[in-house]
Amino acid sequence: MPSPIRKQVKLPLSVAFGVVMQGIRIRLGRSLVTLAGVILGIAFLMSILVGQSIRRGVAAEVNTRREVKRMMSFLTAETGPLDDRVIGVVQVGPLGVEELRFLKQVAAAKVSRLNWVTRNGAQAPGGLAAAGRVSAVSEPEVGRDASAVLLAGEGEVPGGAAAGALLDGARQKVLAFTRKSATAPDVPDASVVQLERDKPPEELEQERLEGQRTRFRTRWIIVISLLVTVIGISNAMLMSVTERFREIGTMKCLGALSSFVRQMFFIESGLMGLAGSILGSLIGGLFAWLAFSFTYGADLVGSSLDLGALLGYFALCVAAGVILSILAAIYPASFAARMVPATALRSTI
Amino acid sequence: MKLDEAKFEALFIPPAGEGKRCIIRAVDVRKIYRMGTVETHALRGATLDIYAGEYLSIMGPSGSGKSTLFNMIGALAKPTSGKVYIDQVDIAQLDCEELAWLRCRKIGYIFQMYNLIQVMTCLENVMLPMSFAGLNSEEAREKAMFILKLVGLGHRPLHKPAELSGGQQQRCAIARALANSPEIILADEPTANLDLHTGEEMIELFARLRDELSVTVISATHDLKMLKRSDRILWISDGRIVRTARPEEVDFTSGDFH
Repeated sequence: MPSPIRKQVKLPLSVAFGVVMQGIRIRLGRSLVTLAGVILGIAFLMSILVGQSIRRGVAAEVNTRREVKRMMSFLTAETGPLDDRVIGVVQVGPLGVEELRFLKQVAAAKVSRLNWVTRNGAQAPGGLAAAGRVSAVSEPEVGRDASAVLLAGEGEVPGGAAAGALLDGARQKVLAFTRKSATAPDVPDASVVQLERDKPPEELEQERLEGQRTRFRTRWIIVISLLVTVIGISNAMLMSVTERFREIGTMKCLGALSSFVRQMFFIESGLMGLAGSILGSLIGGLFAWLAFSFTYGADLVGSSLDLGALLGYFALCVAAGVILSILAAIYPASFAARMVPATALRSTI
Repeated sequence: MKLDEAKFEALFIPPAGEGKRCIIRAVDVRKIYRMGTVETHALRGATLDIYAGEYLSIMGPSGSGKSTLFNMIGALAKPTSGKVYIDQVDIAQLDCEELAWLRCRKIGYIFQMYNLIQVMTCLENVMLPMSFAGLNSEEAREKAMFILKLVGLGHRPLHKPAELSGGQQQRCAIARALANSPEIILADEPTANLDLHTGEEMIELFARLRDELSVTVISATHDLKMLKRSDRILWISDGRIVRTARPEEVDFTSGDFH
């Protein structure tokens, strides 16, 4: 008697996984070519992103260094060379990037001592004390033997007599503000210096325009590089699926469900995408770092790298690689899975 | 085309007196391939009954529609018009999961180009349909080894198809077709690449499958030995079945049996 026709059972994911792993291993050469497609695409994207980041970082770093240098020259114009001098620092609040850099540079100059006082509960920056010549003192002591007293940080600065008191016992009566202060006190027989500079409006306008141009250029380059990546990865995955139409047809003849075929390619492309984009991101990032180090110098690039941003780009690139690979494979795989077995068997790609 | 439903019901009744079960029935099967504006009529209305436990040989020159007929009765493609019944079920009514089950359990295919999965070993190729059928790998391995020994490939289970000779690949393909103990074996030129001796062994194997397990064997072939062992020979030409005969009715010596 005829036996009833039943429905084919769905296989567990592990079966598809096993078939895929075996396929990758056996077809190692071909898999590597596909992988290279993904690596290339993602490496390109990553190198563009990191390159942009380095370029931005370097520009900011160059600006900071210029400002610090200028602050230094403003200060030394009043005090003369800082060799073997004592400098008092009154920190009235959290320090900005340029201020901190400037103070570090002062500490790194051949001063004999930095008298450090904090006000308004400000937190003294770590790392400075390691310079060795920094000593925390009480406020009346800050000006002793000092060639200058610096007022740094974001906060309320002491005015009038209190400001004058800071210079008690000072060798040179120089009171320097690292930030522009509207309430700069007028201290008799002392020179009061503002180290921060007002940017003229034309310079600000220039900076705004430059920023706009850079943002536009960056977006444009990222869009282009994403396109390149999409096309590269799609092509690699498309080819790797299309050339297996016959194999898919055979599997369907042997009783594979369409869902099994799709599952197989989903797993394979996911794995390829993951491995390829991790490798690609590393290679791309490294390449960008090396190339820019060569152009700008390792020191400048090194100090302008932002680790958080780098990790962000890495995550972005890996996600993009995996998603693109799966998307690129799912379409031809679904197409092949839906194909009539006889048609799939005939295809000779 | 419009089919007479009453006539259809009648088709399900096995031919009177013979007591044979019809395992595959094709009714006025037509297949038209369209390539742009060009239409190719691969099958122009083929009607045939194939009985359970029959050993049927199909002859025909290349391009006669032989492979198309194979695809139709093997549920590998849909006819443009006409019906195909496998075990009294209209395969057009089956969903894809049922079709997969049918292809997996009921029919064993032996392709002309073997179509072995190149990245898998011989053993894994034979195990593949078993794992699709839900067998665990231990059972599948044991059964696959048994079948490989049966077809004389027990000594090279771990070789890849590319490392095997044409004849060995064909035997691997035959073993794979037998994997889920199918009721029907569809073979496209199964002995074409085998040496004389192995060819005879395969014919013997098919005959034994028919005699002992009532497996229906349908094969396209020009192998005289195979034709002589079959129960029925069917000629196809230009998309039509032009002649059916028992081997004893055919004069193989004259050469005009083509």
